[in-house]
Order: sequence, then C-alpha cells, then structure tokens
Amino acid sequence: MLDLLPPWLRDGIGDDVAFWIGYLTNGKHLAWYASLQFTLFAAVFGGLIALLLGLGAAALRNSGPLPLRLLATGYINIVRGVPDVLFFIFFPLAFEQGIEWLVSTQVCTRETLALNAGQWPPCDAANWRLTSPEYLVLACVSLGIVYGAFAANVVSGALRSVPLGQLEAARAYGMSRAQVLWRVHIRQMWVYALPGLSNVWLLLIKATSLLSLLQILDFVSWAQRLGAANFSRSAGLVHPDWRWQYYLVLLLFYILLTWLSEKAFAAISRRVRRGMPLVGQEAM
Amino acid sequence: MRMFVLAAAAVLALTGVAAAQTRLGSEGAYPPYNFIDEAGNLAGFDIDVGNEICERAGLECVWVVNEWDTIIPNLLAGNYDAILAGMSDTEERRKTITFSQTYFPPDPSAYVALAGKTFDFANLSGQRIGAQGATIQAAHLEATYKDTNTLLTYETPDQALADLNAGNIDLILADKSYLQEAVAGSSGTLALTGDEVEIGGGVAAGLRQADTELQAKFDAALTAMKADGALDAMISAYFPEREGGPFFLPE
Amino acid sequence: MSFLETLLAEIEILAVPALYNIYFAAAAIPVGFVFAIFLALGKGSPNWLINRLSRGYIYFFRGSPFFIQLFAFYALMLSFNLSTWKPLGIDWLVLHPLFLGPAILALNTTAYTAEILHGALTTVPRGEVEAARAYGMSWGQRFRRIVWPHLIRIAWPAYTNEVVFLFHATALVYFTLPVIGTQQDLMNKAGQMFQRDYNVFLHYSVAALYFLVISLAIFWVFGLIYARLMRHMPGARPMQFSFKRLFR
Repeated sequence: MLDLLPPWLRDGIGDDVAFWIGYLTNGKHLAWYASLQFTLFAAVFGGLIALLLGLGAAALRNSGPLPLRLLATGYINIVRGVPDVLFFIFFPLAFEQGIEWLVSTQVCTRETLALNAGQWPPCDAANWRLTSPEYLVLACVSLGIVYGAFAANVVSGALRSVPLGQLEAARAYGMSRAQVLWRVHIRQMWVYALPGLSNVWLLLIKATSLLSLLQILDFVSWAQRLGAANFSRSAGLVHPDWRWQYYLVLLLFYILLTWLSEKAFAAISRRVRRGMPLVGQEAM
Repeated sequence: MRMFVLAAAAVLALTGVAAAQTRLGSEGAYPPYNFIDEAGNLAGFDIDVGNEICERAGLECVWVVNEWDTIIPNLLAGNYDAILAGMSDTEERRKTITFSQTYFPPDPSAYVALAGKTFDFANLSGQRIGAQGATIQAAHLEATYKDTNTLLTYETPDQALADLNAGNIDLILADKSYLQEAVAGSSGTLALTGDEVEIGGGVAAGLRQADTELQAKFDAALTAMKADGALDAMISAYFPEREGGPFFLPE
Repeated sequence: MSFLETLLAEIEILAVPALYNIYFAAAAIPVGFVFAIFLALGKGSPNWLINRLSRGYIYFFRGSPFFIQLFAFYALMLSFNLSTWKPLGIDWLVLHPLFLGPAILALNTTAYTAEILHGALTTVPRGEVEAARAYGMSWGQRFRRIVWPHLIRIAWPAYTNEVVFLFHATALVYFTLPVIGTQQDLMNKAGQMFQRDYNVFLHYSVAALYFLVISLAIFWVFGLIYARLMRHMPGARPMQFSFKRLFR
C-alpha cells in the first residue's frame, strides 16, 4: 500500500507511522474493512424485509379476517417474546431442515434412507448445501422476521392514530376499501409511525453484530480474529492480546452508525411533517 | 405444498451445480494447523494437505472458514464436505461423522502455564484449567480433574491463551503442536509443563458417514502422499519441533 | 420415547440453565435501577459537566450493541488482571462470569433505564414542584413526595419493557464469557445439545418457551406493581402488555 505513495511523501513519514500504516493496510485488515459490506447488506435488506412484513402483519392485525388476525397477533407477540439472538440462530437452521425434510419426502428412497440410518439429513440427495451467501440471505430474513414483528406493532399503532374522519371522508368520496387503505390510510400513517420505525431500525442495526454467529465472516468476527494475540510469525505480526482496542473500534463504529441513522430519520421526519402542523405527538 | 416442494427442489438443483466443487472447512485460528496469514488468506498445514489431496484426486476444492464450535454440525448440514482443522479421530466423533486416513501422527496433548510455575499433576487441586469447548482435551479434563479443580471452556483457543496470559487461569490443556507454536512466540512468558497426555488418534479429515465416495478419494490421495514423502515434507516444514520422523514414509 | 416424554425431559434439562438467565437479570436489574436514578437526574442537571457526562454515558451504551459491549468489557477487565485485580486479591470475583455478566448487564440497563426515567422526569408538572417549594420543602422532600411518585407512575410501563429486554439480553452472556464447569445458561445448554444431535426444533423451541414464559411472568408481576402504584387513580386502566424496547 505504501508503495503507491510518491517517494517524497514516503520519506516524510517516520518509520513508526509507516509501520502502522503498513500494518493497518495489510491483507487481513483490508479484508476486515471489506467485510463491512455484509453488515450493511444485512442491515439494508433486513430492514426492507422487516418493513414489508411489518406493514403486512399490521394491516392483517387491524383489519384482516379473524384467522389471519390471530395469526398476525401471534406472530407479533411470540417473536417479540423471545430474544432476537435465539430466533436468529433458530430460524436459518429450522428453515434449512424444513426444506430438507420436504425434499426428502420426494427424493429419498428406502435404500438411501437406510444408508443415513435416522441421521440428518434423511438422505444425501435431500441435503441442502448452505454457503455463506445463502446464510447472509437467511440472516436478512431472520432479521426481517424479528424486527418485522416490532415494526408491525409500531405500524398497527400508527394506523389506529390516523383520524377516523379522514377515512370516512375518503369512503364518502366513493373509494373502495383497498383504495382507502392504500391512498389515505397508509399515506397518513407514516407521520405517526416514523419515530417508532426509527427506533426499530436502530435495534436492527445493533442486531447485525450477531451475523458472526451464522458463520459469516463479518466486521465483528474479523475484528475478533485480528485482535486475538498472535504467536505465529507465519500469521503476520506477533503481538499480545489487542482485543479490547479492536472492540472499541467496533463500538465506535456502531455509535457512528446509530448517530447517522438518527440524523437521517430526523430529516425524513421533518419532510414528512411538512404542512401538518397539528401532528405533534409521537406514536409509539 | 407441491409448488413449494418443486421450488425447493429447484433451489437444490441450482446449488447442485456448485456442488461439483468439493468444499473444505477449516477454523483459521489454530496455527500452525490452520490460520489466516497476513494477506488475509487461509493458510497452514491443514490447508496445504487439503490442496494436495484435491490436486491428486482431481477435485476442484474451495475453502470455507467456520468457527470450531459448529464445525461438525455444519459438516453434517452439508455446508462443506470435509473438515481439515487439526481434528483428531476419536470414538466420540465417529458416532456422528467418519474420518479419512490420518495425515498427522497422534499429537499428544500438553499443559501450558506461565513460565516458572510448577504443578503437582498427581494431586492437582484448586487450579483453574482451561480448554477449548467441544475438544478431546475438554472431555479429558472433565473426566480427570473435575472434582477438585475449576474447569473453564472457551469458544476459541486464543481466548484461553489470552486468559492464561492475563492470569485468569493457571493451565491450558491443548494439542502439543499448537502450544509449542504459542510458547515459541511468547518470548519466554509461557512454558509447557507436566507430562504429555496421550488422548485421541491421529489428525484426519472429518467426513460425512454417507460420503464413502469422497472418503475413498481422500484415502487414495493420502496413501500416495505418504508413499512418495510429500506428507512427511509438509510435516517437517510446519512442525520443525516434532521429533520421531519419518512419520508416514515407508522405512 | 413419545413426543410428550421427550418434551418433558427437555423442559427438565433446561430448568437449571434457565435459573442462570434469571439470576443474571435479577442481579443486574436492582443495581441498574439505582444507578439509573442518579444518571437520569444527571441528564436533567443544569451543571454542564454532569449533564454532558450523563448524556455521553447514555449515548455510548444505547448506541452500540450489547453483544460487542460484552466482548469489549471482558477483554478490558482481563487486561487489568495482572496489574490491578491480582494485587488487590479480587481477580476471582471480578473476572467470574457470574459477577462480570450481571455487571456488564447493569451498565447497559442503567443507560436504557436512565433514558426512560429522564423522559418521565420532564413530565413532572412545574406547578406542583413550585407549590411544594413554597411550602418550604427541602430538595430531598420535594423529590421524595412530589417528583418521584409522579415519575415512577409515568415510567413504569416503559421500564417493564426494559426489564423484559434485559432478560432477553442475558441470552448473549455465554457467547462471550468462559463457561465454568456446568454453569450454563439456556442458550449455551441448548447449543451444546444441538451440537450433539442436530435437533434444532426441540432444543431451541424449549429454550424459547422458557424465555417467553418468564417474560410473561415479568409482565404479570410488574403489572401487579403498576396496579398498586395507580390504586388511587379512579378508573385507571391496567397496564397493556406489549414487548417494545424504547430507543428514544
């Protein structure tokens, strides 16, 4: 990395500084910086899935047919009643085994079943080989399901906060139920939902630190590996335990991320509230 | 339901294309067996052996880094097809997976402590002893020293070493060759102590029990590597302190 | 073994591990609550330094993941072991997971609880405080008789949620701290059993059941306390059960 600098600048840098720049830009550290993409990918797509699930579950809970209403209520309360880390570990494994079981009912023969002798997967042909990209997608879905339940709670509260008069006026204009829901109810709901959704987003960002538990070499697991004491010259610089310094960087990174998110949500909130002077209270 | 099964089968078929590759799993935190080098790549004895096996068996291989505590479940789940992670062939593990031929002779386990401390291993009591969780060493400690000592298990071996260096535990039981590397790099603060403990078989590649085809390929490649001295050369390169060679070369 | 027997056996196996989660939460909550009162007053303090420090503390702990806080504090405490804890002779306590786990949980819940209490503090009617002052009450009397009764009634529902989520956060402790002997919590024990038989549905579902049931028990107990707090209010509605963790 240092070789890229012009010679006069290279000479101007002291040996110590040059050493640290070299250390912080070696392949291991570059891989660490690059692994940020997994954290951000999981946050963005997890957030999108959470929003969609939240809207769907909230709409069903507020105005769906009874069985669906119960289903939505059950989803919202049970998922929020267990720790996110438990669901985060459980869901990808359960999903994988569920798919494997379904496939096994179609493709396994008596002989292949006997070969695996009651072990999982039932037979080799039903084995679904998950790799890191698939784990990342499943991690996004898990985040989406967990925080979708939180978002649904926020959205369903916000839907109830929209003044009834607005909806009745829309009905009086001859709009269908679906039109009222989409054109009036959901449009107006955002103002009430934004503070709560901002809260859910911040929780979700912090939950992306759990990606390493799903065997994704993310920002957190690279920091753990880099900070651990290294005794082996072949693995790079020999150094004692530097973990807390690396963890401090992680903490500051997450604080920066939440700070930026808060600023962004405040800006969106201001924009959405344009021309709505009466909306003062936050809906949570 | 039917549609869902079809969709699931399609997913399987898609990933089946990638399954032409053989995927090898390793931990990347256990030098000199496996570690991540300065360039950020997986390297070490396990990795060289694995690549050589793949070349001789004509397999196209890719490496997957996986934490130790889930390394067997994820082999069973099919996230990779073989474990090469300094893993000893044991009866306990053979209940769930199978092994190739060994590619490293039985590596005795050893104790490491801060240099200058001595222990009475016959009547060890009141000590805090660490090991990596789900290892043969953790099982050995559980069977030997549980009653009169405090046993601590860690997610990774470097966490145990960090706790030893910081004085939070008195002893670690781990593979001798891993500890030798740590002692050599500790500039005199750590030392091996006590007798070696002979537990576990040789180091071998862990495979799914149903995967007999891959097992045959691995065994054939390993037989060839043992016969022409390639494996012995790798052992000498990575474990210069290991005595008693030749290891696999016919006399 | 029938399905029911398997399930009952699993519930029995995980009963002791569940006690560790309960212990972590029960040890952290009272400590965090007391600290949070001071921190909330600090955030409302007109003193520039106290105000900034309190805000900084709250922002640091609420803005970063608890998972990383655990790692960071364990590594930090470890690095002081030889220089500080050993000479003082308290290393056996400071680095013990059963001490350090609740300690880090308490640091975390202090920040969240302080934010809730500070929010409630701003709703205390000025007029009541001024009237009490006019009666000649001291600062301590005003806090105890006017501010606190008002504040705790406003804050209680949100605090109930914080307690439930603190209980959920105990699931993360043993992903970081070393496990001594068989001192395992629900997640650690469930994970260990999962590694043996690969049965994700049985082990994690029963662990989830424990978390759910204990969460509901917390809601019930805190709801009873809330009803008692509000007993003088005619027609006060019972507390609504709803899992939310407030960030702001």
